[in-house]
Amino acid sequence: MRKVRRWECKTVVSGLTMGRGRGRGRGRGRGSSGQLRPPSPYRLQLSPSRETLTYAQAQKIVEVDLEGRLHRINITDPLPVITEDEMMAQDIAECNSNKENSEQTQSKTRSWRKPSNSKSRRSSKNTSHQNQRSGSQQHTGSTYSFQHPSHQSPLPEPTFRVLSSVSPSEAPPLPTAYYRYIEKSGEEQDSVAEYDMDEEDLAWLEMVNQKRVSDGHASVPPDTFELLIDRLERESILESRSQALSQSAVDEDAFCCVCLDDECLNSNVILFCDICNLAVHQECYGVPYVPEGQWLCRCCLQSPSRPVDCVLCPNRGGAFKQTSDGRWAHVVCAIWIPEVCFANTVFLEPVEGVKNIPPARWKLTCYLCKQKGRGASIQCHKANCYRAFHVTCAQKAGLFMKIDPVRETGVNGTTFSVKKTAFCEHHSPVGSRRDGSGDESVEGRLVGGRGNRGQRSYTQSPPSPQNKKGTKGQKKKNSKGSGGSTRRSTVPVLLVPQIPSHRLNKICTGVDVQRKNQFMQRLHNYWLLKRQSRNGMPLIRRLHSHLQAHRTAEQREPDEKLSAAREELRYWQKLRQDLERARLLVELIRKRERLKREQMKIQQAALELKLTPALVLLRSTLDQLQEKDAAKIFSQPVNLSEVPDYLEFISQPMDFSTMRTRLDGHAYCSIADLEKDFDLMISNCLKYNSKDTMFHRAALQLREVGGAVLRHAHRQSQSIGLDPSTGMHLPEAPNKHGFYNCTWDDVDSLLDPENRLHLTTDEQLKALLDKLDMVTSMRTSGGRTKRIRLLRREINTLKQKVNQQQQQQQQNAQSVNGKDKEDEGKEEEEEEEEVEEKEKEKRKKKGKSSVDNGPLTAVSNSGPDDSPPVLELTCPVSSPLPGDAPLEPPVLGIVTGGRRSPGRSYKRQRSSRSGSKSQGEDEAEVGETASSQQEAVHEVTPLGTPPAVPLVGVGRRTSVLFKKAKNGARLTKSKSSPQQNGKTPEGKANGLDSTPASPSSPSVNITTLPPTPNASPAPASPSAHHLRSRGQSSEGDADKLPPPPSEEGLTNGKHTSAEHDDDEPNLSVSPPKRSRGKPALAKVPSSENGDISGSGKSTLLSLDSETQLTPLDLVWAKCRGYPSYPAMIVDPDMPQEGLLHNGIPIPVPPVEVLKLGEWRRLEEGEKLFLVLFFDAKRTWQWLPRNKLLSLGMDDTVDKLRLMEGKKPSVRKSVHTAYDRAMVHLNHVRGNLNFTPSTFI
Amino acid sequence: MATAIYLEHYLDSIENLPCELQRNFTLMRDLDNRTEEKKGEIDKLAEEYIANVKNLASEQRVEHLQKIQNAYSKCKEFSDDKVQLAMQTYEMVDKHIRRLDADLARFENELKEKLEVSGYESTEGRTLKKGEMRGLREKRGSRGRGRKGSDEDSPRKKKIKNSPDLSDALLPMQPSDVLDMPVDPNEPTYCLCHQVSYGEMIGCDNPDCPIEWFHFACVDLATKPKGKWFCPRCTQDRKKK
Repeated sequence: MRKVRRWECKTVVSGLTMGRGRGRGRGRGRGSSGQLRPPSPYRLQLSPSRETLTYAQAQKIVEVDLEGRLHRINITDPLPVITEDEMMAQDIAECNSNKENSEQTQSKTRSWRKPSNSKSRRSSKNTSHQNQRSGSQQHTGSTYSFQHPSHQSPLPEPTFRVLSSVSPSEAPPLPTAYYRYIEKSGEEQDSVAEYDMDEEDLAWLEMVNQKRVSDGHASVPPDTFELLIDRLERESILESRSQALSQSAVDEDAFCCVCLDDECLNSNVILFCDICNLAVHQECYGVPYVPEGQWLCRCCLQSPSRPVDCVLCPNRGGAFKQTSDGRWAHVVCAIWIPEVCFANTVFLEPVEGVKNIPPARWKLTCYLCKQKGRGASIQCHKANCYRAFHVTCAQKAGLFMKIDPVRETGVNGTTFSVKKTAFCEHHSPVGSRRDGSGDESVEGRLVGGRGNRGQRSYTQSPPSPQNKKGTKGQKKKNSKGSGGSTRRSTVPVLLVPQIPSHRLNKICTGVDVQRKNQFMQRLHNYWLLKRQSRNGMPLIRRLHSHLQAHRTAEQREPDEKLSAAREELRYWQKLRQDLERARLLVELIRKRERLKREQMKIQQAALELKLTPALVLLRSTLDQLQEKDAAKIFSQPVNLSEVPDYLEFISQPMDFSTMRTRLDGHAYCSIADLEKDFDLMISNCLKYNSKDTMFHRAALQLREVGGAVLRHAHRQSQSIGLDPSTGMHLPEAPNKHGFYNCTWDDVDSLLDPENRLHLTTDEQLKALLDKLDMVTSMRTSGGRTKRIRLLRREINTLKQKVNQQQQQQQQNAQSVNGKDKEDEGKEEEEEEEEVEEKEKEKRKKKGKSSVDNGPLTAVSNSGPDDSPPVLELTCPVSSPLPGDAPLEPPVLGIVTGGRRSPGRSYKRQRSSRSGSKSQGEDEAEVGETASSQQEAVHEVTPLGTPPAVPLVGVGRRTSVLFKKAKNGARLTKSKSSPQQNGKTPEGKANGLDSTPASPSSPSVNITTLPPTPNASPAPASPSAHHLRSRGQSSEGDADKLPPPPSEEGLTNGKHTSAEHDDDEPNLSVSPPKRSRGKPALAKVPSSENGDISGSGKSTLLSLDSETQLTPLDLVWAKCRGYPSYPAMIVDPDMPQEGLLHNGIPIPVPPVEVLKLGEWRRLEEGEKLFLVLFFDAKRTWQWLPRNKLLSLGMDDTVDKLRLMEGKKPSVRKSVHTAYDRAMVHLNHVRGNLNFTPSTFI
Repeated sequence: MATAIYLEHYLDSIENLPCELQRNFTLMRDLDNRTEEKKGEIDKLAEEYIANVKNLASEQRVEHLQKIQNAYSKCKEFSDDKVQLAMQTYEMVDKHIRRLDADLARFENELKEKLEVSGYESTEGRTLKKGEMRGLREKRGSRGRGRKGSDEDSPRKKKIKNSPDLSDALLPMQPSDVLDMPVDPNEPTYCLCHQVSYGEMIGCDNPDCPIEWFHFACVDLATKPKGKWFCPRCTQDRKKK
């Protein structure tokens, strides 16, 4: 049994760390059941003094005080575990035996953590702080043993005995459902009298009744009494409710005026005196149990009307307790002054030992208030400091006052006490002063640093009345202390609301009592007294709590509303959340459905791929092909109403839309089928349109591009493995023949002509093209671009060869018409590219550098010439043409960009040329200044093949065109010409290579328009420019026509071109119409003005591409890096003394310029024109024919040139030069009323 | 406390929501079933085609493929319908939410107003008292209350505000409630970062954007851009086109 108790105690001790209580006394045993018993103070003094233990020992021991006896249990000792039943039995027994302590059992436990019971801490040694609470609990116990050896009046000791016979009667357990509490409704409760009389009431009523009976009145029955009391109560509640409406917030800053701490624990709350508003901790003021109802501090309770003065200090205010001799003293003073102690350390009263204070202490002078002989002072704890101060003064001043729990081990065992240290302000430990309320609670009570609090708590008691006034006024700002003191003196304890008499009357209505009023008065008084005796507590519990509720309700009403509103809000918010969740869900569903839709689409595509992979491939190929036809020339069938004669030439029209229909109709089984139609379409176009129409060009271009696409498609279909009959995949994939795996070595080996000797040219071509495709599809690198370049060259030479072969055949066969038109077209394409390369090659071989020293052009063509071949080869690849090399086979790349628009220029060019050619003259042929022709010548020459080829083609083509344009009228004529054509350029070309043409012979002049410089910049500059310049030159030709130097052979040509000049504006609409395709495009030339410079220019320019440029013609000269600039062609062989042109002097070219010209001509190997720019300095330049474009012939052309400059300043200078040129022109023509500004 | 009338109305309006949701969902399910059927059909057709393709003339092939095509277009229609339905449903719920939000805001405002009025009254009463009691009563009252409140639970804790400011009391509740909203593991994710939506979001103007919504921060936006906005991916795609 005992062991059990020990065990219980142990738990209590651990529970004490919660600061719950002291864990003393028998009641503690119940701690295990969660309800701590209050200590029974009586026992404390009986506890034997302990022997001291060492610290280490103490650490291992749990001390418990049971029934006045101290038990020590080693923590290592095993403790028997006891079952609950046994414990119950024991507890019950204990309960029974404990009855006389019932008063205490109601009370709550308290812990002595506060420095309030200073005595208990005196002279003790410090225990470790590790377990401060339990430590303090323990040493408080010990201090008691020290404290009260001289206790005179031992408190009664409870006696009990354990009744072993009594056992709890087993109540049959009932299900909890049996017990039900039905609360009466408010109305019900209102209707019955709730008040129950107690003995007091009975006695009173008896007395009253006796009197009444003696007076001859009927006695009042107890029921009536109860009813009346009940009503009084209710009335009072109403009254108080109306009175005490205002419930202010709790003072959050309240602090205990004993310890100056504002900590507020559940077990140790801060209480407020209901009158003086004194704030104290339960523990600090010795209030173990928070009372119901009012709580008044001692002085308000016992001396409500008279302010009390502390015997120990001069200050007023604060927490007082009575001394044993009926005087008053501050609790703090009692704690700090060593001789003074509390008789009862739980309730902290009365203050004892005032008499023990030595007189020396009374005589000390407080250095703070400078008052001597008023109260007892303490001294600074610093060794040699004798400064004295009152405890309250020190608090006020915020001196360092610290209370440490100590545990002292001496001979008699361990003593627990507190060590109190107080320093004067000079000796306060650094950092502790004024450090505010840190967490001193951990390391003891540090009073220092709370001076302001202390200040607020006290006022000086009045030694003299005026002094009091002063201090009061001074301290007035703290309403607490001073307010409390004033209140104390003025306000009586009035907590029971008086009930006015009319109310009383109302109360007693319906009660049948004789001499009602008198009785009511008495009853009222009695009731008042009774209330007062109960600290103003209402006599009816329920009403009390009701009142409470009401009180709060009065201003808590909003609170209730608030909570209701909260409830409601919560409900709505919940709803909102649910909706949100629904929304989320729906959002998820939406996403899912979208995904499903995507999936469906993908499934469809997959199935399509599975069922008709060939179709898919074909379709994509067709799409790619059509994409290349950006002008949409081939997208729709030829409109027969626009070109009624189309079917005359074309038996099987074909276009993309037809192809698509056929494709969808599963007419194509393989790429080959598609290719067939594609080729048909192209050949149709080539057949119908003459070589110089844009349609022809476009077709050629498309053929190139499309060829690559188709090749790619072929490869794809091979690698995919398609079954041509079903258009589905083959059961197993074919062997990949590693197309993409081939290496540079393969390419290089193929590039070596020796390695391909065994192949036919066609095969070679094909192999080369394949390699080219492959290489282009590789990643960009130096090696790639180089090889691309080389491959292209090889391909071109091969094509050349093929063409030559064909042409030879054709020549042999003399078949003019029809089928090889494609080839020619192809040639043309190839030629163009080849030219670039060949020219370069040539130049390379020659090792010359063509320095362009022209005054205007700082640009030189020499750069690439000197550089190693690789570099040169790379440059075309890097040419900035859109849609160039990387994506498409590079063969086409160079041409593609500018090809489309120039296509049209070609058309015109051709038509005009054809006109002249039909006359069958050399010059007409020569007039085809287009570089392609000339270039072809050049290419051919080094290869040693007859250069007639292109010219033959030209002849044939012209004939075809002519047939169309003039309805075949001149067909025969043109037919007769080819041989002639074929021959002449040969000689011409040769001649022009070697000998610079003399200006006097126009035919030579024309022929020798040197294409070289044109070709060399071409790779680096957009081919559009290339083509355009070609057009320019042709325009120059036309320009030259009106004032031509008269030449006998030229006349015909002149005439025709002139004729064409006349025709052209009218014709411009019709030819395209006649040819293939889009009317919209066809109309472009007529409505040119706003058009894009490229196409518009070239179309118009092409009008006179055949015309010749003669000296003294005005031209637009294009130098590299500059826009076209007005210039005049000057005959380099002009007489040195100068000459007049229509009276206008023509500047003589300087000798250096002439020399340079000679040199450059040699270098370039072609005819260069000497031009004189119309700039301010009149600079000279040698330029090839294709850089020149006649000026002043067409407004649109001029305007376009004028707008060519990118920068406004450049444009302006061009304008000025143009003006000068026009002035010159007008002078020359003798037409003086020209206004140059018309174009500006 | 009487609920505001509009909230009652709201309750009425929302009553139908579950039914409508259910209806829409069943419809979607219906469509789904039909789509599945069609898919089965397509599969059959495809098999058939594969089996017979060798023997079919091109017209027959076209015809057969056309059938499949038609079935697919039907499927697509269904899918579109479903998406449409889902969007509708979403709109519906969203509409309700927005309305509720508006109503709630209104309700809260009213509540606050009411509370402020009552708060004003009580302070008035308090000042009246103050005049008589010089502020001491105030303390006592609260004290008494605090203590009496301790009857049933624990002694009053000074630090606890017993009469919290009313609006204060209302307001802190909301954030906590918002936080209380459980995190749905299935919450749809958006944006390049694949996170749930938070903060300001911007929608891609491409109706077929696979992601649709983006956090401002993830697409380097601080404010809503003017005009159309396309997400980085869609911008890329558009550039390609």
